[in-house]
Amino acid sequence: MVKLTINGQEVEAGRDSSILDAAKSVGIIIPTLCHLKGLEPYGGCRMCLVEIERVSRLQTACTTKVNEGMAVFTETEQINKARRAMLEFLLINHPLDCPVCDKAGECLLQDYAARFGGSEGRFAEGKRTHPENVNDPFIVRNMQRCILCARCTRMCGEAQGAYAIAVTGRGAHSFVEPFSGDKYNCEYCGNCLTVCPVGAIMSRLHRHSYRPWYVEKEVETVCGFCGVGCTTHLQMRAATIIRTLPKLGTGVNKGLLCVRGRFGYDYVESEGRLKTPMIRVNGVLEPASWEKALAYITTHLKDIKLKHTSKAIGALASGMCSNEDNYMLQKLIRFVIGSNNIDSTARLYYAPAKAYIEKIFGAAATANAISDIEKSDGIFVAGGDPTAINPVLGVQIRAAWRRGAKVVVSGQPGGLGNFINYDLNSVPRHEETVLNTIVIGLAEMKGYSGKNSYIETKIKALRVPCEPELRATGVLLENMEEAVDDLSGLKNPVVVIGPALLQSGIPSKNLFLVAAIAYLIDARVYLLSRKANYRGLIDMGCVPESIPGGLPVRPGQLRLKNGVAMSVPSEKGMNLFEMIEGACNGSLKALYVMGENPIFNLPDREKTEKAMSSLDLLVVQDIFMTETARHAHVVLPAAAWSEKDGTMTNLGGRIQFLRKGSDVPTGRSEWRVIAEIARALGMSETYADSKEVWEEMTQVSVLHSASEYEDIKKGGLMWPYGSVQFQGGAEDFGVEGLEILPAVHHHSSQCSTEPCKLSLLPERSLFHSGSTTRKSKAILSVSPEPYLAINPIEAGRLGLRNDDTVRVKTAKGSAVVTVKIVIDCPEGTVMLSNTFEKVNFNALTGYSVDPVLGCMVLTDNEVNIEKL
Amino acid sequence: MKNVILRNIENPSSHRIEEYIKAGGYFAIEHALNEMTPRDIIDDIKKSGLRGRGGAGFLTGTKWQFASLDPKFPKYIVCNADEGEPGTFKDRVILERNPHQLIEGMVIAAYALQSVRGYIYVRAEYPQAEKILNEAIKEAYEKGFLGNDIMSKHFRFHLSVHRGAGAYICGEETALINSLEGRRGEPRIKPPFPVNAGAWAKPTIVNNVETFANIPYIIETSPKAYSFLGTKDSPGTKLFCVSGAVNNPGVYELAFGTPLREIIYDHCGGIRGGRALKGVIPGGLSTSILTPDKIDCPMDFASLAKHGSMLGSGAIIVLDDTMCIVKIYERAMRFFEHESCGKCTPCREGTGWMRTILGRIEDGMADMEDLATLEDVALNVAGKTFCPLGDGAAHVLLSAMKHYRGEFEYHVKYKKCEVTDPSHRWGHLSMGELD
Repeated sequence: MVKLTINGQEVEAGRDSSILDAAKSVGIIIPTLCHLKGLEPYGGCRMCLVEIERVSRLQTACTTKVNEGMAVFTETEQINKARRAMLEFLLINHPLDCPVCDKAGECLLQDYAARFGGSEGRFAEGKRTHPENVNDPFIVRNMQRCILCARCTRMCGEAQGAYAIAVTGRGAHSFVEPFSGDKYNCEYCGNCLTVCPVGAIMSRLHRHSYRPWYVEKEVETVCGFCGVGCTTHLQMRAATIIRTLPKLGTGVNKGLLCVRGRFGYDYVESEGRLKTPMIRVNGVLEPASWEKALAYITTHLKDIKLKHTSKAIGALASGMCSNEDNYMLQKLIRFVIGSNNIDSTARLYYAPAKAYIEKIFGAAATANAISDIEKSDGIFVAGGDPTAINPVLGVQIRAAWRRGAKVVVSGQPGGLGNFINYDLNSVPRHEETVLNTIVIGLAEMKGYSGKNSYIETKIKALRVPCEPELRATGVLLENMEEAVDDLSGLKNPVVVIGPALLQSGIPSKNLFLVAAIAYLIDARVYLLSRKANYRGLIDMGCVPESIPGGLPVRPGQLRLKNGVAMSVPSEKGMNLFEMIEGACNGSLKALYVMGENPIFNLPDREKTEKAMSSLDLLVVQDIFMTETARHAHVVLPAAAWSEKDGTMTNLGGRIQFLRKGSDVPTGRSEWRVIAEIARALGMSETYADSKEVWEEMTQVSVLHSASEYEDIKKGGLMWPYGSVQFQGGAEDFGVEGLEILPAVHHHSSQCSTEPCKLSLLPERSLFHSGSTTRKSKAILSVSPEPYLAINPIEAGRLGLRNDDTVRVKTAKGSAVVTVKIVIDCPEGTVMLSNTFEKVNFNALTGYSVDPVLGCMVLTDNEVNIEKL
Repeated sequence: MKNVILRNIENPSSHRIEEYIKAGGYFAIEHALNEMTPRDIIDDIKKSGLRGRGGAGFLTGTKWQFASLDPKFPKYIVCNADEGEPGTFKDRVILERNPHQLIEGMVIAAYALQSVRGYIYVRAEYPQAEKILNEAIKEAYEKGFLGNDIMSKHFRFHLSVHRGAGAYICGEETALINSLEGRRGEPRIKPPFPVNAGAWAKPTIVNNVETFANIPYIIETSPKAYSFLGTKDSPGTKLFCVSGAVNNPGVYELAFGTPLREIIYDHCGGIRGGRALKGVIPGGLSTSILTPDKIDCPMDFASLAKHGSMLGSGAIIVLDDTMCIVKIYERAMRFFEHESCGKCTPCREGTGWMRTILGRIEDGMADMEDLATLEDVALNVAGKTFCPLGDGAAHVLLSAMKHYRGEFEYHVKYKKCEVTDPSHRWGHLSMGELD
């Protein structure tokens, strides 16, 4: 610690702290414009000049480190003149168009000019001009207003790692421009918007429709787009979200957001929102009152239960709904109706992967704070681009890389492309060989710790790939060896697993191999989660095999504090795939779908459609008339993300508050409606608010039993939520094809004679999350159309160019799309995202269920591409 | 007096390696590699009292010592050949006529710092120098003075030329390093200084061309012999490049401490046309102007500082009585405005503002209030900028306004120039060629 005085006041500060920080610690405010906590000091604006005793020149407080015995003055006449001078300089070329500037009212320059500036201007010359650029769908650049603090460019580079914008030109003619020129061609994280202190970089979404003083209410909530759980603030006026605003340095995201979280919120105000309950009458959905709709549901549920027993009733929970919604749905199905038939689309990848990893390592394995990634010294990524699936988590990987962490990526690097030490992107279907080689290499380097004999036995059973097998991967052996070297030396490693790991080859083998890497280097594991609350819904018991809190389903009774007993049904529940199968073969008669769209989101659309239309009762509770809702007997309008209170659990296991900005304009909160149905079916409990639902849940869930609702307020509750007994041990687990490696084909020679078969894979886009973003006008303005991503080599082979229209045909169906040549797309594959109504990826493919993991494996995805 | 830097200058092929070796060149490397430890070299440079020739006059030996004491490796040797200071053309002579002396100096520096990589950052406006340098480097590689095993002494050093992109600011060492790394040419925060965190955050010494060219002489003679030249405070010789209203403008290698009068009237043959001296800008455009009464000032670091100016790059710009001071500083400010990088507020906005006011004064469109504003703006810039560019711009204007106040006021009062006014005593004379 160093002792100094600031304005005569004694201050103690850390050896490395700046005068600015030292002053702040005792409440002395020094005005700054370019300074931003978290970014490197810049020293450009010169607003923070201070006087230091025995130093002839004024010094910038943001760049000057404290010294023992230093005497600093921040409020002398000389300083006041300097501040006045800097503001005068900033204003001479500033257009002073505050009356038409959206920033007015929250503009730092305006505030400072009022507080420290002079009363009149002496500038008699002409101002610099620069045309406003309004060509971008999201970001308006008005560089006349720019004060060149470079916060945006530093944010873009240092924090986001996008390097999309830079200061161009020089002197007073320096302007911030995207490298792409006119429009931005970037990730549209919009973090430049957050940090611009003036009106130079503004959001186009609320342009000229908003003033800071219009904000009637600001609520801190959690973003509902993906599993990261970014903290964001909703600024509300009446029932309208004016904008979402992160607060720098707060939340798991530390104030960063991605394109979906920042710009995609307008779907909640889409005209397509369901406004009233609907009941199918003579084959047509017709508006009905809530009473009628709920009466319809309860009568039919009672009927079906009577006729076919409770096992004919099931439900699909939602990764977009809160813990309370999911708990209540689970309660209705499991405790009130008495069936274990509850599942969700987490079954496709997240739930089986989580269950498998936890089986190997114990329940704590997948619960890790996202902010720890940044502090890691090495990250192994397999199975997808984190910067697209969970963008802010991806940004943390970039940040770690910039701090010197080694980043090893198996699979498509995507947005990590420039932040990689070892790119082990193999030829499709040979990823297994690469992973296999790394596991064997690490086992040799690190040896066996003996902690987990199950996994060690299996690692020992792996076969060393032979030369041709290694060559077939397309990854250099020395590259793998160097990666092994670096991975084995890590002190604080992280393994990130994405959905693509389970979609090709043998899922259990792939997942086992990555788990083996995590085991050998003792890494923390993160499972990417496309939906915001997949982890939460599993914790809430929305899986057939376990009850809230994660304990396996065992027949018996759970007793609430008030003495009410709830029985756990004994019949084994059906999972997602079994329910679809069951609906087709008549063993499932009723399905309650909450906030999910299985027809669109499950492969083999034809089969799912058949299943949905075979049901005696299909209830769909959603905010939009989805493909599934069109088949429903009853449709219930639901509350959107910004309209409900509750909690969400992020992919790392942090429970955070979801707070409503406005009331549901037309629908009702999911859990309230479900509770009403449950009461009509015999449930006695009533709930005043979501807190009471949470509190009941904590009496049922062992995992949450020690948690305090109030604690969530302090930045979230971290796993295991205060309970110590919930650790769980490692168990034995199954792996398929331990000794088998992918066969080596002579791919190229085959292709020269006959047209090569391409496989169709899902593209996980940064811009879209599926059913909600396709209703967001903002998101559609940057990513309006579906496209077929194809590798340039394949495109050349097929004679395709960008924007060609093609018919994509598989055994399951066909679609017409335009072509986009993407270098990142692996050879032998084409990719299509599953986000647009008119081109449904899942209508083109089939699936099978992996026997070990129970996850989905894509089938029937060989495509023929025909140029139109 | 002996030429240290421009020895062999009379030889038209002095840039060829054979000629350089014939004149005793590359002997210093041999001597250094055979008989001296890196530490000996740094000690010798320190003892010689050699001061950097880029403008600030920092002690070269001390700079090298700082870099050598930093435990980080690799270390980089960078030669600043971004000779952008208006009035300066001394480095060009070395680059074009004596490139091997620079290379030799850099190799010795590399050996002293155990560096394996060096760069010569040449301004884009010197294509001829760049060409000659590249040839010289090639020759040095062929002769084994550069490469993986220099003079079979298991010492490795590679050197290449990096062409600048036309920005004056890149003559500032941290901006130069940014530019070298491929970033925007903007100065960095100091500390850390380049000696600790320069190119790619590694210890880096950035020295001027002329500074490096002094090294071989110090090594092949002795620090003592070197310090006999010049003055106690500024040992050695200096390249003075004289331009403006003199009969024989050019580059002169003279001992430090040579009086300004001797340079102008003896070496340069006096003022052109026998006219009266109006003032001298002694060290490049960003040094304060000296009035004729200070003509006896010895040209060394300390004496010029005493006279309220700086030695700078040694670029002496001589002004005669036909030249309009307002016009000169309007033109100077246009340069500073154009070259301001834009990073810091006062320089970015202030230089342009000062230029426009100066323009109005020059055009007879200003009043006394403008003069007051101009002075206040300059005071608001001075001492508050991020790097010396804006600071220098403000200071030179302030000193001109102080010493030639009457001329500024004449412009404002009579809406015309004192020196070109036909009713005035000097009116019949034409303007100087500075514009």
